[in-house]
Amino acid sequence: MGIISAIGNTVAENRIALLEGRCGIVYQSQIPSKYADSLPFGEIKLSDEALKTKLDVTEPGTTRTSLLALHAFNEAVQNSGLSDHTLWQSDTALIGASTVGGMCRTDELFADANSPEAATEYLGSYDYASPILYLQKRYDMQGIINTINTACSSSANAIMMGARLIKSGLAKRAIVGGADSLAKFTINGFNALHILSPEICTPFDAGRRGLNLGEGAAFLVLEREEDALHKKIYASIAGYGNSSDSYHASSLSDNGEGPFLAMQSALETASLLPAAIDFINAHGTGTENNDLVESIAMQRLFQQPPPFASTKGNTGHTLGAAGAIEAVFSILNLHGQELFPALQFKNTIPETGLQPQNSYQQTAIEHVMSNSFGFGGNCTSLIFSKA
Amino acid sequence: MFYIHQNTCISPQQTFLQNLPQTVQPVQEDQLRAIEPGYEGIPPGVLRRMGKASRMGIGAALPLLKQEGIKPDGFILGTANGGMEDAIKFLKQIVEYDEGVLTPGNFVQSTPNAIAGQLGLFSKNTGYNITHVHGALSFENAVLDADMLLNEFPAKNYLLGGVDEISSFNYNIDCLAGWYRKNVHTEADFYAGNSEGAVAGEGAAMFLVGKNPAGAVAQVKAVSMLHSSDPDTVSQHMATFLHKYLPPGETIDTLLSGENGDTRFARYYKDCEAALNGDPTILRFKHLSGEYATATATAVWLAAGMLQTQRVPQHMIKKAGTISACKNLLIYNQHKNLQHSWMLLSAV
Repeated sequence: MGIISAIGNTVAENRIALLEGRCGIVYQSQIPSKYADSLPFGEIKLSDEALKTKLDVTEPGTTRTSLLALHAFNEAVQNSGLSDHTLWQSDTALIGASTVGGMCRTDELFADANSPEAATEYLGSYDYASPILYLQKRYDMQGIINTINTACSSSANAIMMGARLIKSGLAKRAIVGGADSLAKFTINGFNALHILSPEICTPFDAGRRGLNLGEGAAFLVLEREEDALHKKIYASIAGYGNSSDSYHASSLSDNGEGPFLAMQSALETASLLPAAIDFINAHGTGTENNDLVESIAMQRLFQQPPPFASTKGNTGHTLGAAGAIEAVFSILNLHGQELFPALQFKNTIPETGLQPQNSYQQTAIEHVMSNSFGFGGNCTSLIFSKA
Repeated sequence: MFYIHQNTCISPQQTFLQNLPQTVQPVQEDQLRAIEPGYEGIPPGVLRRMGKASRMGIGAALPLLKQEGIKPDGFILGTANGGMEDAIKFLKQIVEYDEGVLTPGNFVQSTPNAIAGQLGLFSKNTGYNITHVHGALSFENAVLDADMLLNEFPAKNYLLGGVDEISSFNYNIDCLAGWYRKNVHTEADFYAGNSEGAVAGEGAAMFLVGKNPAGAVAQVKAVSMLHSSDPDTVSQHMATFLHKYLPPGETIDTLLSGENGDTRFARYYKDCEAALNGDPTILRFKHLSGEYATATATAVWLAAGMLQTQRVPQHMIKKAGTISACKNLLIYNQHKNLQHSWMLLSAV
C-alpha cells in the first residue's frame, strides 16, 4: 500500500495521524484560488517543486495530480516488493482513477484552450487519464492499463476493476488506486453547488455544513492468493458492489437506494450477512444530503449499523482518490485490529440518531466495509477482510 | 466474448437509425461534426442543459432502451473527455467572475460520468454503472469490462458504448499539439499521406450486448490493448493476439484500419496490413468518423453492419481482397503514437 494525504506522506504517517485523531484540514493553504484563506482544505504540505525533487521528476508538463499519484504508487510498489521487471510484465495491470486529472492546471488549461499559438508545457497533460499514462510511461508498463471516472467513487471502482481482472484471469496482479489534487476547477464547482463548509467539516453531525475538499493519492498492490502466500498480506478483498442511485445528478435519493444496493451487492459477492461487518468506513462527506441518506441506507441494511466513521474529517474529501485512500484506512483497521476516532462530531442527526466511533479502540475485527458514492448516482461499496 | 444484439450510432454521417452510409459527408472547416438527430424522448428543458457529448450519448442510447422488454443490467461507457465543452465553459465562468458566484450547471455536466449517470436516471436503472476515461482506450476498456461481467453473469445484458465530442477548446489544444491538420477537402486529401495530423471528428455508438447468439447482429470475439511507441513491440503484440484468438486455419478476411492520413504514424497501419495473410480486404473508416479518442466505437458499429449485411460501402475500400465473404474482421487503431487496440469481430 502507498498513500499521501493531508495527514501524512506515507502509510505509517497516516496511521499515526488517524490513531492520534489528527485533522489535516487547514485554513491558509497554498492552493491557487482566492478561497485559499477563507475556506479550509485538506492540503498536502509538499509543493510541486518539492515533490519533483523528491521523486526525481524532470519531464515538463508533469502536473500535481501525476506527482501525487507517483508518490503513492512508488510507496505501494516498494512496500509490496514488486520488481521493475514485474511492473512491465503483460500480466501486471494498472487501474487508476482521477476526477480532475491534469485539469488541476486550471489557468494553463484555459489559456491553451483559447490561445491561437502560444502553448504551455501542460498541453498534453489535461486528460483524466494523464496521471495513469504518466505512471505507464515512467515504468513502461505493458499490461492492461485503465482510468476510471465515476466522480467521488472513481478509485473504489478502480479497486473493484483490478480485483475482477485478477479473478477473471486477465491479470496476475493489479496496482489499483487513484489521485486528485486541489484545483480551482473543483473548488469553484463544489462552491457553486453550495456544499463546501466554511468550517472544518463535521461528518454525521447534526450541525454539519458541508464538505471540505482535500487532495491525495493511494495505490494498493493486489495479487492472487496463491502468488502472495510467502509475502506480507495486509488484507483480502472479499466483496464489491456497484449500483446506480438513478435519482439526481448531484444528490442522493431520500431512501438511499443506490448506497443500499451497493452495500447489499458487496455483501452478496463476499457471501456475508450484514451482521458480519465489524466496521464501516463511511462515505460521510459532511454534506446535509450524503450523511443523512447514508445513515438511512445503513439502517435499512443493518437495522443496528456496526461501528462506523468517516475519515473525511481527517483528510477532507479527496474525490477520485477517496475510495483508494479509505481502502488503505480500512485495511489499517484490519491490520492493526483497531478503530480510529471520528473527528469533529458532537450531536447525532435527529432523523437517524447514529453515533460514529468516538474513540480509539483496539478490538477484534474480521470484515470492514468502505463506502464511496459519487455524483451521477455512482455508488460503490468494498469489503476488506482480515488476512 | 459476447454478441451485439442492437446498435445505434450518431456520427458525422447519416448513421442514426440508418444502414451503413453509402455516401460521404464532406469535411467542413477541417472537422467532421456529428449530424445530430431531433433527440425525441429527451424533454426539451433537459436537452437544453445538456452538452453535446451528453446529447449524442444519451440520444444514441435511448432507442435501445425504449423497446418493449429491454432493460439492460447496467451501463458501461467509454469517453476520453466527457463534457469538455462544459468544463471549459465553467472555467470561463471562473475567470470572468473571478471565482465569484457561479452557476453549477456546466460543472455538473462536465463530469464524464454524467452521461452514464443520466442514462441510469432516465431509465430508472439501478444496475452496474461505470465510465472508463482512459484516452483512446476508453471504449476498449469498456468492452473488456462488459466481457468480464458477461462471463460472470451470462444471462445478463449490458448497454455498452463510446462517445466523445469536438469542443472548440479541446480542438484548439489538440491543434496546438499538432494532432489535427488544416485544408482537407476531399476524400483523396484525407488519406493523401503527405501531411501531419488528422481531421477531428466526434460521435457516439451504443450497443446492447449479451451472451445469447440468437438474433445477434455480430459477435465480438476479442479485444487487446497496448501502450507503446515502438513499432516492433506493436507488431509482436498483434501477432500474439491473432495467434491466441483467431481459430486455427482461419484468416482475417477484412481489416478495418484506423488509418487517419497522419504520415508520422502511417507505419503502424502499414505494418498491420503486411502482417495479415491471405489477401484480406483493407477498409478505412476515419473519413466517416474523423479522428477522436473513442472513434473505435463507431468502427465497431460499422463492422457490425458489414458482418450482418455482408456488404461493404465502396468508399471504405482501400484494397479489395480475394475473399468476398466477411467473416473474421479485425479493427486496428492507434492514437497519438501511444495507445493501440485490436478488436476481433465475427459474423454470426
